[in-house]
Amino acid sequence: MDRRQLVAGLGLAPLARLLFPLPAAASDKPLKLRTLYNKDRSFSDLAKSLEGSRISVDGYMAPPLKADSRFFVLTKIPMSVCPFCETEAEWPRDILAIYTKRTVEVVAFNRKIVTSGVLELGTFKDPDTGFVSRVRLVDAVHERP
Amino acid sequence: MKTIISSALALALTGSAAVAQDTLPQASSQWFKDGQAAIQAVLDRQPNTNRAKNVILLIADGNGVGTNYATRLFDGQQKGMMGEENVLPYETPEFYSALVKTYNINAQTPDSAPTAGSMNTGVKQRFNLINLGENAIHEDCSTVEGNELALFSELMTDAGKSVGVVSTARITHATPAAVYAKTANRNWEDSVPEGCTAQKDIATQLIDALDAGTIDFAMGGGGRYFLPKDKEMGGLKGRREDNVDLVERATGLGAQFATDTAGFNQLKLDGSTPVLALFNDSHMEYEADRADDDEPSLADMTKAAIEYLSKNENGYYLEIEAGRVDHANHDGNAARVMRDGVAFVEAVALADELTNDEDTLIIVTADHEHAIAFNGYCGRGSDILGLCYDVAKKGIKHSDELLLADDGKPYTVIGYLNGTGSVLKKEEGANDYTGSRPELDQETATDLDYVQQALIPKSSETHSGEDVAIYAKGPWAHLVDGTIEQNVIFHIMNHAANAQ
Repeated sequence: MDRRQLVAGLGLAPLARLLFPLPAAASDKPLKLRTLYNKDRSFSDLAKSLEGSRISVDGYMAPPLKADSRFFVLTKIPMSVCPFCETEAEWPRDILAIYTKRTVEVVAFNRKIVTSGVLELGTFKDPDTGFVSRVRLVDAVHERP
Repeated sequence: MKTIISSALALALTGSAAVAQDTLPQASSQWFKDGQAAIQAVLDRQPNTNRAKNVILLIADGNGVGTNYATRLFDGQQKGMMGEENVLPYETPEFYSALVKTYNINAQTPDSAPTAGSMNTGVKQRFNLINLGENAIHEDCSTVEGNELALFSELMTDAGKSVGVVSTARITHATPAAVYAKTANRNWEDSVPEGCTAQKDIATQLIDALDAGTIDFAMGGGGRYFLPKDKEMGGLKGRREDNVDLVERATGLGAQFATDTAGFNQLKLDGSTPVLALFNDSHMEYEADRADDDEPSLADMTKAAIEYLSKNENGYYLEIEAGRVDHANHDGNAARVMRDGVAFVEAVALADELTNDEDTLIIVTADHEHAIAFNGYCGRGSDILGLCYDVAKKGIKHSDELLLADDGKPYTVIGYLNGTGSVLKKEEGANDYTGSRPELDQETATDLDYVQQALIPKSSETHSGEDVAIYAKGPWAHLVDGTIEQNVIFHIMNHAANAQ
């Protein structure tokens, strides 16, 4: 019998979330990056409700802008530059800026990672890189699932 | 005498075969009856030799036979079918069809510039160039002069027709540009190299065409190439280094201009003034990510274009491109490929519905295929975006058993030969690419953002040289037959438009 079965068995299922707070998405799975945005690029209700909370999001690490950084960009699909569809690299609009707790351990751009951090909403211009972000995870750590 | 004997023999054989067929054990099968009906539909075809008043060329970029197959299944599965039995609107016997060889003069694997150019000029072209003759060289401005080709849009304008171009990609991107531009480099969208005076950038060429009257209706993405650097307008932000305001120039010519759905809905489609609509700085959104109140759909734009162009009693030429089927394939993200594929299908269906077969030639095709491939042996109804389930011994639908590869892991129906989904990855500091296939479940595989597994590591999945299909309906559609070179498409359109 695992923890969930025990709770259910005691008839406490409705209280499960109160007794054993689950991660932000109310499941064991990390959030999808796209769920933080509405189609018109405004923040989703989910994003607003999670502002200030520590959440986990899955995605890919775009190649960092510089070495030994504590910053990287999380993308929903591997960030690529297509010689026959783009004349230059373009950031997708729905990205997540990640400010890490420690120096970034770089992962291949096409390796799925799960990043956990505190969700911040609102425009912020990084004084070091000049990178402007609308949504961030700060104090973040990442791992390969 | 010999001929008479042969004929008599043939008659006898046919007669006995007909008798035998009535008693074939499979004669009562629905498959058998459908097969007979399919033959009858072809027998009933009557070649349409009218002159085509209107020509509509619908291109789904990167939608080769394989990609189109996947869209057929996806569309069917979205409608509750198993998928394989689905018939896309252009796959009925009403449409003639053929295979198209897409290579460029100097490329086995084509790119979208010379492929679209070949359809718009009647000759194959060189890799990365648009509408220049075979002696022009990529990126060499000095080879432009004397190599400019005549365009179908120009010929149709001379015939008194209107011309429209619609794309979900940037309107300056290769496929739409091939309707109006001539360039030694497809990437010269908003500027040409210093000292290059033989041609202008592609965006400027579009406004020149609006001015000359060889383009009357242009709708797509790519607004940033029409506005001075950093100028903001209707949600667009300019990027032109020469600070020329092409939107101002267009409106100065009397053109209507729109940047979003609200503006689109207010356009006057009476054909009296040119229309320019640019809905995004770069490409329009993928269909999966598009908001109706932000950007119109490809079908919406198709409807508006036909309504506008049909005001010309002499007719029109309209090229419509689903530009982002290609981009999602480049990302190895089949889920978005399929959704943009269905948006294309809907645009084709609407174009057919809004026009008359008696006077309108509709051609449906692609410019090239991708390195997309399909695994086996999946049972009927396996989710085209999901995992390959085993064939069931009884019934029709696939079994509940996942097929496993020799590594013990399941695999998706769709895979790519190369791209970011490569199972070989190079980690920071590593000397080589290594890897094994990640674990996979159906929920992960069918997620909108899932990137299908690929073999060869590349930052962007590539096109392939594999054939594409062409489907046609209306005047002279029966010329679409066999396995043709891509430049033949121009000749079919030109013949239909000029038939006596």
